Amino acid sequence: MKAGMKKGSVIILISVFIVLLISSFNEKSARKAATLGELLFSDPILSKDRSISCASCHIPGFAFADTAAFSTGVFGRKGKRNSPSAMNVLLRRNLFWDGRVNTLEEQALAPIENPDEMDLSLDSAISRLKQNKFYNDLFQEVYNIAPSVQNLAAAIAAFERTLETSDSPFDNWKFSGDSNAVSASVKRGFELFNTKGKCIQCHFGADLTANEFRNIGLFNGLDLNDSGRAVVTKDAADIGKFKTPALRNVALTAPYMHNGMFKTLEEVIEFYNDTKSVVGNPVNKDSILMNPLGLNAEEKKDLKAFLESLTDKRF
Amino acid sequence: MRIIAIYVIAMVVLAFNEKDKLTGRWQSPPSVTGSVTGVVFKPDNTFEGFVNKKPFVTGKYRVQDDLFSFTDNGCNGAEGIYKMVFFSNEDSLRFEPVSDSCTERRKGMSKLVMGRVN
Repeated sequence: MKAGMKKGSVIILISVFIVLLISSFNEKSARKAATLGELLFSDPILSKDRSISCASCHIPGFAFADTAAFSTGVFGRKGKRNSPSAMNVLLRRNLFWDGRVNTLEEQALAPIENPDEMDLSLDSAISRLKQNKFYNDLFQEVYNIAPSVQNLAAAIAAFERTLETSDSPFDNWKFSGDSNAVSASVKRGFELFNTKGKCIQCHFGADLTANEFRNIGLFNGLDLNDSGRAVVTKDAADIGKFKTPALRNVALTAPYMHNGMFKTLEEVIEFYNDTKSVVGNPVNKDSILMNPLGLNAEEKKDLKAFLESLTDKRF
Repeated sequence: MRIIAIYVIAMVVLAFNEKDKLTGRWQSPPSVTGSVTGVVFKPDNTFEGFVNKKPFVTGKYRVQDDLFSFTDNGCNGAEGIYKMVFFSNEDSLRFEPVSDSCTERRKGMSKLVMGRVN
């Protein structure tokens, strides 16, 4: 009986050791892949004319978003939608404004091939990386094989997975329980966010998005004619819908919306307060936004203060 | 009369014990994607839920016997009622739905298993 128990304990100990070993190996591999991904993210080698990198439009100092409404790609070409933040994407189920891909690996490759962005075929990208001794050696070190489409995507995605932030004044207040981490205005703003502002109905979750698609009234089929999600689903009910963006670090990611039409958070709040006053003839607008919110000047300030409290301390 | 008084005291003590058992920080083991979900149940009957150290839900709760009733900032103010199931020396906790019209929340709560952190 005793011998049996001893044997059992040894088996459990060995199993725990193996699990820890595997998990430590996986963590180490992920870290190495992320380091490689970070280099690739900032290297113009992946653009046709070697002029831009992922970081050109996802600027680290601005929470990995762009400061322009539409990013500039190779040969001065302009993108058609605002570059969103590449941070806090771990929990996203869909990527891009229209949610056309479901994994970070798929997302990582798309801008390389997009003619308005980096305009480089994946074959050419891999060929360049193979010819580059530095990268060829690094891919061998991390993946034990030469650069390929799969491990290029995996490396960039691994880096993006490290771009999580959870140390903002809001986090310190709510997660760490430090009620002095934020001002009274932030606390009132959070209350408004959850109630009168109705923001929570779409921006619910750890990154303040419910991972859904909504038409907020920025489609009128005339001057505002990006069909958004409908192009992916081929469903007329999705016309004008876009992915609800996460709000972490939102104070750093201006301009806002899929078309970058609002330059400041004040403009965004004004828009939500009465969407009709900005776009009078929207098509298929979400019912949540049918009536004005009726926020007064103080409430708008509080809401802005709350949004600013979502900025991570690394910035 | 004495029996009623003893019963009332016993119920109050039981209710407080259930609440005391719950108060504190709980969190799940990492999921397959590495996400850790947790909840801080505060003595003032409020709670904060988080994923990967990121707050995602805030609300108010009541404990009566083994029933946990709450409202949060999601689900349009709908109340959820769950049975609390403590196990493993009461250091682990899961919830069984009793009534909750919020489908997504019900799905999440039913899967949630947490261990006491402090």
